[in-house]
Amino acid sequence: MRLKLGFIALTDCAPLVVASELGLFEDEGLDVTLSREASWANIRDKVAAGALDGAHMLAPMALTAPVIAPLSLNANGSSITLSKALAEQVRGLDDDEPSPRTAHALRRAIDRRVELGERPLTFAVVFPFSIHAYLLRYWLADAGIDPDHDVRLTVVPPPRMAARMLAGDVDGFCAGAPWGAVIEAAGAGEIWVQGSRLWRGAPDKVLGLAAAFAAREPNSVQPLLRALIRAAVWADEPANRETLAEILSRPAYVDAPVAALRRALIPPEPFALHFHAEDAGYPRRSHALWLLGQIRRWGQIDETVDVQQTAGRVYRPDLYLQAAEAVGAATRGRLLDTEPLTPLFDGRAFDPARLDDYLESLPLGRRPAPGR
Amino acid sequence: MRVLVIDPDKARAALVAEGLAGVKPLEVRSAPSFEEVESAIDGFDVIVIACDSPDRDTLESLREQTAHNPRPVVMFVDRSAPGLAEAAVEAGVAAYVVDGLAAKRVRSVLEVALTRFQLMQKLRGDLAKAQADLAARKTIDRAKGLLMKERGLDEEAAYQLLRKLAMDSGRPLGAVAADLIAYANVLKGGS
Repeated sequence: MRLKLGFIALTDCAPLVVASELGLFEDEGLDVTLSREASWANIRDKVAAGALDGAHMLAPMALTAPVIAPLSLNANGSSITLSKALAEQVRGLDDDEPSPRTAHALRRAIDRRVELGERPLTFAVVFPFSIHAYLLRYWLADAGIDPDHDVRLTVVPPPRMAARMLAGDVDGFCAGAPWGAVIEAAGAGEIWVQGSRLWRGAPDKVLGLAAAFAAREPNSVQPLLRALIRAAVWADEPANRETLAEILSRPAYVDAPVAALRRALIPPEPFALHFHAEDAGYPRRSHALWLLGQIRRWGQIDETVDVQQTAGRVYRPDLYLQAAEAVGAATRGRLLDTEPLTPLFDGRAFDPARLDDYLESLPLGRRPAPGR
Repeated sequence: MRVLVIDPDKARAALVAEGLAGVKPLEVRSAPSFEEVESAIDGFDVIVIACDSPDRDTLESLREQTAHNPRPVVMFVDRSAPGLAEAAVEAGVAAYVVDGLAAKRVRSVLEVALTRFQLMQKLRGDLAKAQADLAARKTIDRAKGLLMKERGLDEEAAYQLLRKLAMDSGRPLGAVAADLIAYANVLKGGS
């Protein structure tokens, strides 16, 4: 069976690259071509059009596209990076140094800029529908910074981020590894807070399979998932991480310095980027609902979209479990459906069955009030 | 027509200019990436971009920003990606030019894109207004119900009272109704 999978140059495309490099796809009787894509919009359109059978996809993108997500590709890995100049400004205003760093000091920096009549700060993400956009928005809003009014939020392709920061027209951004480390190495900015410190185990990328492909080729889905789960297990093995960093750094894949890739793969702190450990591969319905909640919070989808139904249609833990069991990698099985999520840094509990109450309790947001 | 071409491939940018020769007035500007022309974007009627440009994601995010005056986007599509063009159109790209297209068709593609885009903008505006009207009517109905219950009025009297409140305060009926519901919730001890 031949199939074509798309990916974007990011550390978390690892399961696809590893499965290809280690011959795991062939092992499962699949002939897979990987195709590096230039933009998330192209990934979405090509999967929708059938030009790709599936792809490394932003989880919130999968939730708004005609795909199924039978595998979560990673947890953690993103970071919020500030430009050198902004980091210095904010550091001076950070009197109590909370851990993890909140955006309250940044709020004071913004207030001061307003008083001085300076231009608003510009923050960048890689795509409006991404965990990076929602983590950044959540972090800003937690300190009373309205991401749609108090700062300018824009999209910048990560490989251009360093130059934009050095030029002074991007003051901060949230993106997946290795881009925070690449920017630090270029001397353009400083990783201010790791995404995993804001939310341990934050959902990030998924395997998005064209719904039409999954319906047409049901017998290819399990071999594909088995190959990718085996790759994820391999990629999590500490002894393999050096090799992984080297493979990913190649021009055909992430095309970034090995040192930048090592930063997220071989880091000093816990809760780092992982692909299989801590059930990272299991596409949790509660993750889907949290993301759909944020999509709704910031007014990106119609209020009438049935989020429960959407989460059930797109996220397919049943397919994951079947494959994980076949390769001996399943752990807690369906228990993960009911296990409460680790709260974000603000400690607010999230009950997926009471999404509306959760959204009501969050500050700011563009969600219209009920009845209006 | 003012056309912005974002494409590192100079030949394709030249194709657009050639195809538009004769259109007056005409301004064609090309740049290898979006950031170089970001500040000037308001000066263009239509943006032409290569589908393999990473700037597609940036253009999509512009469409999301309600404050930004959107521009129709026309995409150059590689023939090796069948179906991509159609999917992109569904996702909001106004039209597409398949690689190798003769210069003489560029003008019609861009003109169709502009017309189609304006039509879509109008439809979107109409839909948003219809939805807002419907939401306001629901709010007014709820406020009416509240007045009928709390003040023992019939429907017509409740409506007249709401109208009077709106006229006295010089505000739209829907806004007054929404306030009434909000205040009633507070009085009942809600939030």
